[in-house]
Amino acid sequence: MIASNGGSGKKRGGSYGSPPRRPDWMGMLRRNALLLGFTVFIMVMPAWAVPLSKPLSIPIILTMRLVGVYAIVAVGLNLLMGYAGQVSLGQGAFFGIGAYTSALLTTKVGFPVWLGIPCAILVAMLFGVLLAPVLRLKGHYLAMATLAMGIVVFVFLREMTWLTGGNDGVRNIPHLSVPFLEITSTRGEFYYVWIVAIIVLALCSRLVDSRVGRAMRALHQSEVAAEAMGVPVSAVKKRVFILSAALGGLAGGLFAHLQRFIDPNQFSILLSISLVTMVVIGGMESVWGSVFGAGLITFLPKLVEALPRWLGEVPDWLERYSNYEGMILGVIIMLTMVFMPSGITKGMVDLVRWRRSSFVNPFRRKAVD
Amino acid sequence: MPAEEAMSPLHEGVALQTSGLYKAFGGLTAVKNISFAVYEGEIRAIIGPNGAGKTTLYDLLTGIYKPDAGRIFFAGKDITGLPSHRITAMGMARTFQTVRLFPHMSVMENVMVAMHHRTHCGFLSCALALPPSRREEAWMREEAHRFLHIVGLEMQGESLAGNLPFGQQRLLELARALATQPKVLLLDEPAAGLNAYETRELGDIIYRLRDMGITVILVEHDMGLVMRISEKVMVLDYGEIISEGTPEEVRSDPRVIEAYLGSVVD
Repeated sequence: MIASNGGSGKKRGGSYGSPPRRPDWMGMLRRNALLLGFTVFIMVMPAWAVPLSKPLSIPIILTMRLVGVYAIVAVGLNLLMGYAGQVSLGQGAFFGIGAYTSALLTTKVGFPVWLGIPCAILVAMLFGVLLAPVLRLKGHYLAMATLAMGIVVFVFLREMTWLTGGNDGVRNIPHLSVPFLEITSTRGEFYYVWIVAIIVLALCSRLVDSRVGRAMRALHQSEVAAEAMGVPVSAVKKRVFILSAALGGLAGGLFAHLQRFIDPNQFSILLSISLVTMVVIGGMESVWGSVFGAGLITFLPKLVEALPRWLGEVPDWLERYSNYEGMILGVIIMLTMVFMPSGITKGMVDLVRWRRSSFVNPFRRKAVD
Repeated sequence: MPAEEAMSPLHEGVALQTSGLYKAFGGLTAVKNISFAVYEGEIRAIIGPNGAGKTTLYDLLTGIYKPDAGRIFFAGKDITGLPSHRITAMGMARTFQTVRLFPHMSVMENVMVAMHHRTHCGFLSCALALPPSRREEAWMREEAHRFLHIVGLEMQGESLAGNLPFGQQRLLELARALATQPKVLLLDEPAAGLNAYETRELGDIIYRLRDMGITVILVEHDMGLVMRISEKVMVLDYGEIISEGTPEEVRSDPRVIEAYLGSVVD
């Protein structure tokens, strides 16, 4: 059994050979099928979503813009938390820093928006570098430290009134723009955000399946073993942290120019918690799971809000239905954690596999520990 | 640096050398004044009762712990206090007593992780899948396959490491350690949990590694394996070297018998 498996030279599937010299178009198509499918889905979305918005009383495209923004920051958090296993309960901090950076640079300094957002990324990365020493902590201690990080940034945004305007926030933030073109329509914003998001998703899904991604996943599963195998664990952790900060900053920058008004309360600890929820519900260690999670968590309140309007005549207790929103979210999280601890997307994939083969049971699968 | 090299007691043919290593945990001195040298191409066994400090010694050699006193010389350099990943990159690899694979990654990926220090593409290059990173990726796959072949796991490349039976997990750990391209390989109880057949195969694999030019140090409780394959045996008890020599010498050393069986009452 040990050293005598026959047919040494021939490998299964022949996937280990040297790369093909000519570009393998079909193979490339197959490998990126999910990405391409999703891109097409997003590109044609306004065609069916706009007419559907009114009867459903959910502003689908308007909400989808935010889904794109949250998907970017959630993917960043998933790299850090899902892949590299470093819990961050303060990711909202980078989101807030990004939003304020771009908002202040465009309103007070007069930067164009297409320059403000890269600045948001840089400033968020800078804070990432400054805060990276928290990664020396592990497990619960890291969670507490990042939670504190989120709170500290929130307090700074609120109290540094000379810079941030305090609770009054920043008003009249300009629209998104590319050089020479301001984007004002909802549909334009939708495409703007999602083109950025899809690029981010494409890059991240490549990254997790590369040398760097393997190092991240390895140190998640055993730091000692990863280090002993030559992976510079603390350097990799630090870089992932800075990358996730950068994505937080990017998303925050986009967010500021979509909302056009920001105040500190939008970046409170609740934001950080819901970002974590997106990652966990969508699925740890899953790039596409975070998109799904972002969608679910962003649409859920809209759905809850719309429900009474679907029913027309509303009983009294349903009128105050939106008060139960938090409760419904809680129940969903609990059910997901109990029945699909690896997240909804992975759970669904496993469910499909389970139908085909009895060896995979999604309800038995443990979250990565 | 030249001054350090002048100080180092290294001479020709020594792969790994320690002088006066100490390590204490609270009141317990786990490793006490350990000095030894292992020569290139040697198969060296380290034995001793449980708790004798063998694994702690490994942890010191591979940089997981820093010694309280003493120095470690490897590949002509003083490596005392270097971080673990640097030591690995210099050519010292190890396996663990309790298997420490990356259970949620495929067998192939486990081996590829160990090639981290031999590859260079960073975040940007990997995310953009630039040609250098794709070339590197293809090279890594080929190389990983070669190491899996050495231990006979090439057919299991795509299965999850955590789903392998225990014996194969040990072998995968070995393949993974080999993928770091070690000059010195430290094996921590590689035969624990293997059946007689697998143990014999393991012995053959270790011989093959020696023939590939790798110096093998092994901590092992399976005396049959130790006596069969090692050229020199070092016995540890309470953190100290109590005996050192060929398997025959060690076997008849009264101090070794005492350490394993207790002292003779007359």
